[in-house]
Amino acid sequence: MKPDELLAVLTGRVGSDVTHLRTVEHRHGAGDHPIYDLWVEVPRERLRDAIGALCAAASPQITTISGDDVGDRITLNYHLNVGWGEHYSAVALLLRTSVPKSALSIDTISDLIPGALTAEREKREFYGMTIDGIPDDRNLFLPEDSTIHPWRKDEESLRKTEAEVKRLVKWETRDA
Amino acid sequence: MHNERINIDLEANKSAVAYSIPIGPTHPALKEPIRFSFELDGERIVGVDIKPGFAHRGIEYMGMRRNLIQTLYLSERICGICSISHPLAFTMAVEHAAGIEVPPRAQAIRTIIGELERIHSHILWAGVGAHELGFDTLLHLTWNVREKVMDLLESLTGNRVDYAIPIISGVRRDIPEEKVHLAAEALDYYKRLLQDLIDAFLHDKSVEMRTKNVGVLTYDEAIALCAIGPTARASGVKKDVRQDWPYYGFADMEVRAITPEDFGREPVGDVYDNIIVRVLEVAQSIEIIERCLETMPSGELMSIPKIPALLAALKKAEGEGIGRHEAPRGEVFHYIRLEADVEEPVAWKVRAPTYGNLMAWVPKFLGDEIADIPIIAASIDPCMCCMDRMHFVSRDGDQSTRLKEELVRLSREKTRRICG
Repeated sequence: MKPDELLAVLTGRVGSDVTHLRTVEHRHGAGDHPIYDLWVEVPRERLRDAIGALCAAASPQITTISGDDVGDRITLNYHLNVGWGEHYSAVALLLRTSVPKSALSIDTISDLIPGALTAEREKREFYGMTIDGIPDDRNLFLPEDSTIHPWRKDEESLRKTEAEVKRLVKWETRDA
Repeated sequence: MHNERINIDLEANKSAVAYSIPIGPTHPALKEPIRFSFELDGERIVGVDIKPGFAHRGIEYMGMRRNLIQTLYLSERICGICSISHPLAFTMAVEHAAGIEVPPRAQAIRTIIGELERIHSHILWAGVGAHELGFDTLLHLTWNVREKVMDLLESLTGNRVDYAIPIISGVRRDIPEEKVHLAAEALDYYKRLLQDLIDAFLHDKSVEMRTKNVGVLTYDEAIALCAIGPTARASGVKKDVRQDWPYYGFADMEVRAITPEDFGREPVGDVYDNIIVRVLEVAQSIEIIERCLETMPSGELMSIPKIPALLAALKKAEGEGIGRHEAPRGEVFHYIRLEADVEEPVAWKVRAPTYGNLMAWVPKFLGDEIADIPIIAASIDPCMCCMDRMHFVSRDGDQSTRLKEELVRLSREKTRRICG
């Protein structure tokens, strides 16, 4: 699958709500053949449509979901491996959406891609998000009763840890 | 699609929540504990709940408070077995984010060390599998022959693990001409050994009886649960980053995803198929390394060889990148975001292979017996000390905890029983 074909799959279902951020071409080895990343963004209410379109066109592998606390919003990057199976056939897709901290929730995609559950549970606990419709909303990596959200940059309960880590980094680099 | 089995898993997970499960499956000698809670009907497993995270070290949190060179060495310590896999994905992500090129010779060296790691990891796994089945002679044989590749890695890099080879923009050490014959000698050694490995693992009646149709992950389940690496390929899923998205030295060769069909077997996705894939991948890695050594490009090892200049370039960099590497256990993935005038990564996400295969474990256990747990747990080559302590819930509500030693004893008794 080529990046433009993949983009057409997404725009075919989601239309102008898909924002094409960029297509990145990488050339490794002798540089004869490129490999591609495709970076797109959709509003959170169209995420399921975008994932549904991918599922209908291919068997997308969700690699993980990365998050990024950018202040008043959390950016969510759904990393998908699309078109795998043949030599040079895959595109590394980054499907981005973002949710405001004032309404920190997003629909699950676990019913569309069951393998997404691990990544969704992780985002739920580490960012304190609500994943609407998630089939299992227990903490996964954090202790069952933990209410700390370690990847939030505004997590007040981690201020002491933050200071301790700064002291540690200073100690590590004392001879540098 | 076999969604029925997948739905059963999710329901089983929910039902297990009702039970209180003891905390404390950590073991000081192992790096990643995990807790399984099995629901049993007699000896048969009808539900399983998996709880990782007991040794969550907050690697990303720590990395986001250190500069990129410090974070590179931190990434090398995510896993002691895949100790080049994470740095390879990390450096690729940073290089993509910062627009830094890697010289062709450095790409070839990264490829060679990565494939040497696959050889030692797969042989290590084979030994663990043999031990879980009760064949300690085979464990000692495999770990003995693994020493050859460990010695080679030490000779090429200075270390048996944590090789410190990748650096952002290239590699830190060359493979000089006088070391190439050491690599060739080791590869010849493993070529001569391959048939012995195939005979010991794939033509042994006892191994076949304990691993065929045990720990099955069907093709549809592997797709739905996004299984990766040998776990997916054993189910016939032809997924391999080296094939699908060829990077570094793989860009100039045609790597094919190996499945049980390459051994003349229709994929079942059982433990036996997992053995097939890993043994054949040892042979594949040998071919890849030989090709790299034969066609090794000349030239620089780093595009920015001076560390102060590299740090200065990284400090100016602004952007995002992803890094992917087909590690022995499956794809390792890193995402990174850099901001200009900030030395630390502003965002960093690491995805290790066991994370990707966590859900695939569930259907593999269902329907099998307690005595099969050790080999099924080992079949995905987990990067965690999964077997310290387990908690069982029988259908009548009786709860008990069994230690690893007891499970291994049960597994070995089963081997003796079925082998007469």
